[in-house]
Amino acid sequence: MPDANLLPDATTTDGVFLVLAIVLPAAGVLLSFVLGGRYAERIALVLLPSGFILATIILVDVWQSGHRLVYIVGDWKPPLGIALRADGLSAAMMVVMAIVFCAVAIFAYADFGTRAGSAEARAPFAFWILLMAIWGAMNLIFLGGDLFTLYVALELLTFAAVPLVCLDGRAETLQAALRYLIFALLGSILYLVGTALLYGSYATLDIVLLSRQIRAEPATLVAAALMTIGLFAKTALFPLHLWLPPAHAGAPAAASAVLSAVVVKGSFFLVVRLWFDVMPGMLGGAGAQLFGALGAAAIIFGSVVALQQQRLKLLIAYSTVAQIGYLFLIFPLALDAASGQLQGSGALTGGIIQAISHATAKAAMFMAAGLIYAALGHDRIAELGGIARALPMTIFAFALGGVSLIGLPPSGGFLAKWILLEATVATGQWWWALVILAGGLFTSCYMFIVLSRAVAPSGAPLKLKTAVPKYQEAAALALALTSLLLGLVALGPIDIIEVGRPDSIMVGSR
Amino acid sequence: MIGQTTLLASAFVVPFGMLLLCLWPQILNRMPSLLAFAPIPALAAVLLVATDSSFAIGSARFHLTFAMDRPGAMLLGVSALLWIAAGAYASQYLQNRPNHGRFVVCWLMTLTGCVGVFLAADMVGFYFLLALLTLGACGLVIYHETPSAWRAGAVYIGLALLAEAFLLMAFVLLASEIPGNSLLIRDAAAALPTSPQRDLILALLIAGFGMKAGLVPFHFWMPLAYSAAPTPAAAVLSGAVVKASILGMIRFLPLGTALPDWGTAIAAAGLFAALYGVVIGITQRSPRLVLAYSSVSQMGFIIAIIGMGMLTGDGRAALAAAFYAAHHVLVKGALFLSVGVIAATGSRRLWPMLLPAAIIAVGLGGLPLTGGALAKFVADELLGDSTASTIATLSAIGTTLLMLQFLRHLASTASQDPQATANAGLVWPWLATAAVSLVVPWTLYLTVPRGTLPDPLSAAVLWKALWPVLLGGALAMALWRWWRSMPQIPKGDIIVALDGGVRAAVTWGKALQRTDSVLRQWPAATVSLLILTVALGAAVLAR
Repeated sequence: MPDANLLPDATTTDGVFLVLAIVLPAAGVLLSFVLGGRYAERIALVLLPSGFILATIILVDVWQSGHRLVYIVGDWKPPLGIALRADGLSAAMMVVMAIVFCAVAIFAYADFGTRAGSAEARAPFAFWILLMAIWGAMNLIFLGGDLFTLYVALELLTFAAVPLVCLDGRAETLQAALRYLIFALLGSILYLVGTALLYGSYATLDIVLLSRQIRAEPATLVAAALMTIGLFAKTALFPLHLWLPPAHAGAPAAASAVLSAVVVKGSFFLVVRLWFDVMPGMLGGAGAQLFGALGAAAIIFGSVVALQQQRLKLLIAYSTVAQIGYLFLIFPLALDAASGQLQGSGALTGGIIQAISHATAKAAMFMAAGLIYAALGHDRIAELGGIARALPMTIFAFALGGVSLIGLPPSGGFLAKWILLEATVATGQWWWALVILAGGLFTSCYMFIVLSRAVAPSGAPLKLKTAVPKYQEAAALALALTSLLLGLVALGPIDIIEVGRPDSIMVGSR
Repeated sequence: MIGQTTLLASAFVVPFGMLLLCLWPQILNRMPSLLAFAPIPALAAVLLVATDSSFAIGSARFHLTFAMDRPGAMLLGVSALLWIAAGAYASQYLQNRPNHGRFVVCWLMTLTGCVGVFLAADMVGFYFLLALLTLGACGLVIYHETPSAWRAGAVYIGLALLAEAFLLMAFVLLASEIPGNSLLIRDAAAALPTSPQRDLILALLIAGFGMKAGLVPFHFWMPLAYSAAPTPAAAVLSGAVVKASILGMIRFLPLGTALPDWGTAIAAAGLFAALYGVVIGITQRSPRLVLAYSSVSQMGFIIAIIGMGMLTGDGRAALAAAFYAAHHVLVKGALFLSVGVIAATGSRRLWPMLLPAAIIAVGLGGLPLTGGALAKFVADELLGDSTASTIATLSAIGTTLLMLQFLRHLASTASQDPQATANAGLVWPWLATAAVSLVVPWTLYLTVPRGTLPDPLSAAVLWKALWPVLLGGALAMALWRWWRSMPQIPKGDIIVALDGGVRAAVTWGKALQRTDSVLRQWPAATVSLLILTVALGAAVLAR
């Protein structure tokens, strides 16, 4: 086998952008602490859009050069130093997450903005700082080139995400946050133990170096299993989802959107990095089927339980449990039976598109649910009557998000589903196709329930508790439209995700 | 050629553009009066664009293709006529009714989907427009927001999405069979007969399209939806929209290759549905329900034509089925519109209104010189002298009986006020559709280069068409004598069984929810964490 990564591991031109993508959020957090109060909000509102521009530059760069961007920090080469690497996968994810962050920031301005003349409060201050911290952690997860940096990023992500759950300080959200924290820490411990085992065996944690040396020996495999289960716990893959419904349903709308759309994708991304980049040949058939089985169980359980929820935010949270399941179907579907390697095209592309389209759609849906909650003072599904007339744009955004989750064209959900189904046909694993299609049907059932309640006329004339600002509705709608039109990338740059993947480089160097 | 492409594109771009314009409330308020104009580009495209012209959107590697083939053009043309008339009817219908906006948006969605499906030449575009069609049609069904409308809408969309799941799987399988990157339906149909997965794909296609076409036992959505939908919506749903599935069958099934087993199965299912619709239909007491069951029967018959084509590998079946379907588009549309007109007409003015309805209704049973007789004549060539032909004759007798039954119920729904007259805005679209349904089949017959005019007018052919109608009439007399002893069958007949299924599903759902709440307890979650670690470790180690 030719060596997968013959390209010299050196800082590429424009590699400095990668550093910027991490430094920018970190600087924002620190500056907010220094300046304090309402400056946090202003800093975030300036930095998040610049983060989006930065991510776009990186994406365009990767796409045009056809290679990954690399930055060797301090010019200390791994294994001694730390490398940052952006391939097509991470660049695409970074851009989408930046879009979600920007929309969330606009949305949150209404709830966490400090108006001139009003007193500063702790919750808004904390919110903006945590938002920037999550953004920085996500960028580090996407760019980090060694497993320990990724561990640090993962911890940062968890510690920034947990307080978001309990921003309002109610007892039940505190309990949910504690649940999340403890379970996530269990996950961290498993991941750290795995990392330590790998370091003990190979004396390096750099992804590229590790992937060259990795051997299928017990210590490696045990390490991989521990790390993976730790990441599953943080991703809330069924049956390790105990913390997700209360945390995501209890948090403020803007926070729920970030938690559901962004945070769970971070640990999922690490699972992909681990198995596709570090040890593509180690998973084996049984392991891949186990991943798939958990994903399938998540889809079925999550959807059926979502169907029976009485509260809108809980329904959306369970829908997240189900949609996470789709992401793990890529492992059995990407496994090439002949070589035993995980293939970095086809199913992986489908899975990433699913992650992206879920991120945008789910953020839009949580925002819409938040607006409904604000307008009605409750989110009981049975009593939503008349809301479609009061907040048409919000319900429209919710419905478009649903179209993407169901997987109707031209949404990203459809494209993902098509690619995944193609992979089931190509690998002859029809049972996953059944699950994929059934999941879509369940999703349409609960979308129908919610939407039919929302468009039904209300018994008494509807009195809205607060007027909902138009820009909040617009933010939700913009995200929903992004998700809806994501399928159109099939007309253009869908290959971007495969840029810089080890196996595609391999093809090039042959 | 540029002009042709633009014309072809405008057929669905114009309705879609109107749909987008609905985002502005001022335009939305005016939109009801513009509904009749939305389908005109489609009609123009059929008349002016040469058959087999096409165009594509997208990159070289992946694109959506739209093209006009002969069956598609035929169905698109008559559907456009019906959409125009029903649109005019709807603009009158919507006056003094609430929720204009929702109706208009759903209407334009359905129209865009309907026109688009008739033109879509690749699988992705076809699936997309079919989905758009389904969503819009569901919105139209629940327009009245009564409990029965909600139920009908839920059943409709549930079944339609299930059908689309089958179709999606079939399309993905087909895409993997086509050599190269093409997603064209034409290539898919060509690759299908030799594919190793042929039987699976055929089963998925037939299940998917059959559900959408209301093939027994998936017909129960039809009576529910057509009785719940507003009159103009019922007209386009039963006339134009449901033909998308027929066109799908014509395009995807390999009609040029003889597949006797599949052909027999499809023809048998279709003929069974043709008779079943009649039998259940005569027990119904509302004119809309009778029409809905007549649709079950007629759609069954069209599917039987396709099945007979597959049985013998006779490629002519495509045009014959499209021709029969085209006739049904107009007649069923006109009859549904007549239900609304008659309901607003008093006994004094009833006959001038009832007579045209009577002519086209009995025409569906094959009354000589009507389009119905012509359609049956074209179909007869394919059915030959087999058992199928006998069943077809039986179905013609039954359809006559059913239509007389419909007329009887229709007359009884006339307005209580003897002086009442239906608004001209309702009457004219209806009369126009009725007239078109008599004229257009002959025009089509002449333009489509097969057979010659004298044939369907020979005495033998006329008699062959006439006697089932006479016999049907005689049976109707007998039926009305024994009418009181007729059993009452609830609308949607076998849907009663579905209710049992729903209860079972709820029980299962509750069980899953209980399992979930157990799994979310701390002890259970930590144990799962442990078990999963061991299981994954074992899985990767045992590899």
